[in-house]
Amino acid sequence: MENSISTAYEEKIIQDLLPRKFKKSGRILVAILSAICLVGIYAYYRQLRYGLVVTNMRDYVSWGIYISNFVFFVAISLVGSLITAVFRLAGVKWGSPLTRIAEMIAVSAIIFASLIIIVDMGSPERFYNLFLYGRIQSPIMWDVIVIMTYFFISVLLLYYPLLPDIKILLRFKERSGARLHKVYSFLGSFWKGTHKQYLRSKKAINVLCITIIPVAFTIHTVTSWLFATTYRPGWDSTNFGAYFIAGAFLVGAGAVVVAMYIFRTWYHLEDYITLKHFDKMGRVLVLLCLLYLYFNVNEFLTPFFKMKESEAGYLNDMFSGSFAPVFWFAIFTGIILPVIILVFKQGRKPLPMFIVGIMVVVGAWFKRYLIVTPTLLHPFMPMHDVPASYHHYFPTWEEWAITMGSLAGAILVIVVLCRIFPIIPIQETINEHHETAK
Amino acid sequence: MKLLNKILGGALALLFLFPAGNSFAQTADKGSLSIAVSYYVANNKIPSLGVKVKTKVNGRFQNVGGIALSLFLDKDTALNLVGNVVTNDHGEAYANIPSSLKKQWGTSVKHTFIAAFRGNTKYDSTSGDFTANKARILIDTVSGRSVVATVMEMKDSTWKPVKGVDVVIAVRRMGGDLNVNDTPTFSTDSTGKASADFKRDSIPGDLKGNIILVAKIVDNDQYGNLSIEKTVPWGGKFVAKNEDFNARTLFATRGKAPIWLLFIANGIIIAVWTVLILLVANIFKIRKLGQEA
Amino acid sequence: MELENSSRRDFLVAGLAVAGLAAGCKSNSSPFETLIGDHVKPSGKKVKLLSVDGEEVEIDEAYLKPVPHLPPVSNEEQRIGIPGKKFVMVIDLSRCKNLKKCQSACNHAHDLNPGENWIKVDPMQSAEHTAPYWEPTTCMHCDEPPCVKVCPVDATFKREDGIVLIDSDRCIGCRFCMAACPYSTRVFNWGAPEIPADVASQPYSCETSIPQKKGTVGKCDFCADMTRMGMLPHCVSACPNGTFFYGDMNEDSVTNGAETFRFSDLMRDKGGYRLMEDLGTKPSVYYLPPVARNFPFQSGLENDKTENK
Repeated sequence: MENSISTAYEEKIIQDLLPRKFKKSGRILVAILSAICLVGIYAYYRQLRYGLVVTNMRDYVSWGIYISNFVFFVAISLVGSLITAVFRLAGVKWGSPLTRIAEMIAVSAIIFASLIIIVDMGSPERFYNLFLYGRIQSPIMWDVIVIMTYFFISVLLLYYPLLPDIKILLRFKERSGARLHKVYSFLGSFWKGTHKQYLRSKKAINVLCITIIPVAFTIHTVTSWLFATTYRPGWDSTNFGAYFIAGAFLVGAGAVVVAMYIFRTWYHLEDYITLKHFDKMGRVLVLLCLLYLYFNVNEFLTPFFKMKESEAGYLNDMFSGSFAPVFWFAIFTGIILPVIILVFKQGRKPLPMFIVGIMVVVGAWFKRYLIVTPTLLHPFMPMHDVPASYHHYFPTWEEWAITMGSLAGAILVIVVLCRIFPIIPIQETINEHHETAK
Repeated sequence: MKLLNKILGGALALLFLFPAGNSFAQTADKGSLSIAVSYYVANNKIPSLGVKVKTKVNGRFQNVGGIALSLFLDKDTALNLVGNVVTNDHGEAYANIPSSLKKQWGTSVKHTFIAAFRGNTKYDSTSGDFTANKARILIDTVSGRSVVATVMEMKDSTWKPVKGVDVVIAVRRMGGDLNVNDTPTFSTDSTGKASADFKRDSIPGDLKGNIILVAKIVDNDQYGNLSIEKTVPWGGKFVAKNEDFNARTLFATRGKAPIWLLFIANGIIIAVWTVLILLVANIFKIRKLGQEA
Repeated sequence: MELENSSRRDFLVAGLAVAGLAAGCKSNSSPFETLIGDHVKPSGKKVKLLSVDGEEVEIDEAYLKPVPHLPPVSNEEQRIGIPGKKFVMVIDLSRCKNLKKCQSACNHAHDLNPGENWIKVDPMQSAEHTAPYWEPTTCMHCDEPPCVKVCPVDATFKREDGIVLIDSDRCIGCRFCMAACPYSTRVFNWGAPEIPADVASQPYSCETSIPQKKGTVGKCDFCADMTRMGMLPHCVSACPNGTFFYGDMNEDSVTNGAETFRFSDLMRDKGGYRLMEDLGTKPSVYYLPPVARNFPFQSGLENDKTENK
């Protein structure tokens, strides 16, 4: 009796969580995202043909929104290690439905981080020089190595827990269609769910979780060192590694909250992504916001107290000058307002959480922009003997198109991944259900 | 007659007015060049000529490149042609005296070097010249670290000392010569000698401490440019001031990374990727287990 | 022939003297400057010239061109530089009048795009009550160059003679070196350089930095090709006030073409210093403070192009 009920319940879980074909709205979304990507690709074609002159980057602001977008993507990709690895190792059970979403976001983000950094290169046709002539002394080499490593780990951490689910997916040949079925076969038809296999897989996932945490820390610390190894005011900070990682965890958590809400609403997953999940993620977000706020205070208050000559221009610009609106927007909307909203139980309901998640992500994008541009506009030497346009920076349509294209592309990859793979781990959900039933 | 005079006067006036206010001029007024000829003798052996061509633009002199000049010895004829040169971007050109002019050279101790420009669409023809007396300069050192330069001029087949010539006595350096003391030039006395005390103690020389002293006459109206050198062991021993090049540093080339960095970076990479490779191998093991089952 | 019987040393000296003087500069046969002699390979073709004494002498043609015709230097040699030298520049701030002749000579010599100035002449004033002055800046060719430290592909490198060069065939255009340089001296070829097609198709030489390429970085190269021939960089020759001095620290001498000083004397007597010493970059460009000014600061203002501020 119990068996048939539990089997029936199992079947329900499976049916709820299987990936579904795109309905009309899904297809429209894919079409829009693809269109944005195509515009971005056209803009990149123009950039390849005429050079980076099609951007508004010039000799002083030599890094612009491509680099701030790169930092943003790397930051988001850390969500995989947070939700999957940290939660798993800390024994946080409620996080397990979110692990697949987190890993998909991580893989997609790290792919686009690599793409956007190639877009930023002035001579991308010489990309191979990095491998032929690479200098191990350069922080960029460290970044290249760590990004490749992290990508590989994230793919493995997406793949390993996927194996039990593939076995389930292989049962539904007609539903998947011939092509997808072939993909599933290739990826995991060997998974039979035997005890030995399960033990090996479990051990591997544990090792992965342990390994990904230092690699995740390294990837964002090294990315922060692209700035911190220079002398410039605003970048010459010993705080940068920890500051970036705290920010990365925050924006990653925000992205997961946004994804949680969207998938839950879109696919009616209320039984799996419950109010409890939103409540808990809300608390996690509060913690991460406060942590990031702490690092921001350290980053800005101490130089403000000293007002060194070289830093004065940059600080005044940020607090009360041309960057003040963006700066205070990023701080309030990205950090402080979320805390205020989420401290209340009502604020941790799905819809407010979704809005807060968007605020966090948008605020974080502008925060990355503030890391790159204001410092470059306050060099040590006076900006002189250059055309007047070099004194300002506002991205051109090509830069916006490529940036939007990369964001659309990242979302597109996630959308495609969730078309192919179940967003919530099916087998794990079943297992947990069995455990709670006992 | 009066009418004819009037007509002629009017025509003449028109002739004068026409070019002056002529906005339909066929050709613009040509510019004029100034050509300076210089004469060089290095180490009292090989004479050579230099020309520098300038033009005045808005009251300022500018070098003119691409000007073709013909250089002559004493007379502007084909027999006396030294060579044809074209000025470079800096308006300069150089030539040596070919041995074919041996006869003309031997006729006198005084020679005039002519640089002639035949004119082109932009500039009028012009020429410049320089007349040089045969002279030589000698250098010697005296105990107590003093340098003596002697200037002599050839008059009636004998060398006669020349008085009152400004001589520069210096140490040869890259790009420019360093005077041996703070006085810029020395004037020769009635015996044709000028002496200077060497005050550049410990100026770096080569590995053995040798330096090259040079005595020279620069742009003299009668003798041109003469110079002579002498190597003396008065310098300090050469001290190389860049030993970082072969060291292992953060700013060295890729093959010279610091050892500690190589250890740490490669150590981390090897450690992490070993784990990853083992994890991939693990997948294949799981696959094998599945096939067995 | 008397010259053919002379020692090789005299032969070279004579030839070098002809070549060097003919170039309009002081001959460069310093005792450890074996470079020119070593590099000028006799072409085998001899020319008959007249000596001062009216005798015929034969000299190899290779020694007679106005500028010694050096064989093209390989990329490896360009990365090593001229051994035994340590190039240094001294800029006398009391002489600078913001004429910007240095800038135009440099831009012309390297075929730079308008607005891409490797030399910048900045109006400086440390504090409210200190004197304003004009400060020309070139690449500092630091002894601990932050730009070289961060380059991921060895496209910018420090040579044995102290010069830091860029290999535009290697550069990937990541612009990390531009972010790292505290002197803001590097410029980037954002678009295609406006150079004639025949120049653009030449093979790139790190020492001449020609031709510049789209999507790569550029900066002052201390005219490494000129120094290899013993000539002074273009900015040094171009300044009418003789503001720039250039030389070899191993020779302890710097010159602006007309005046030559002992480097150690200049530093000691005129209180030479370097920019942003506290950053530890160890620049190779020294400045002499603007005392006993030749011109008031204001006389340089007329040349400060407003569109280029």
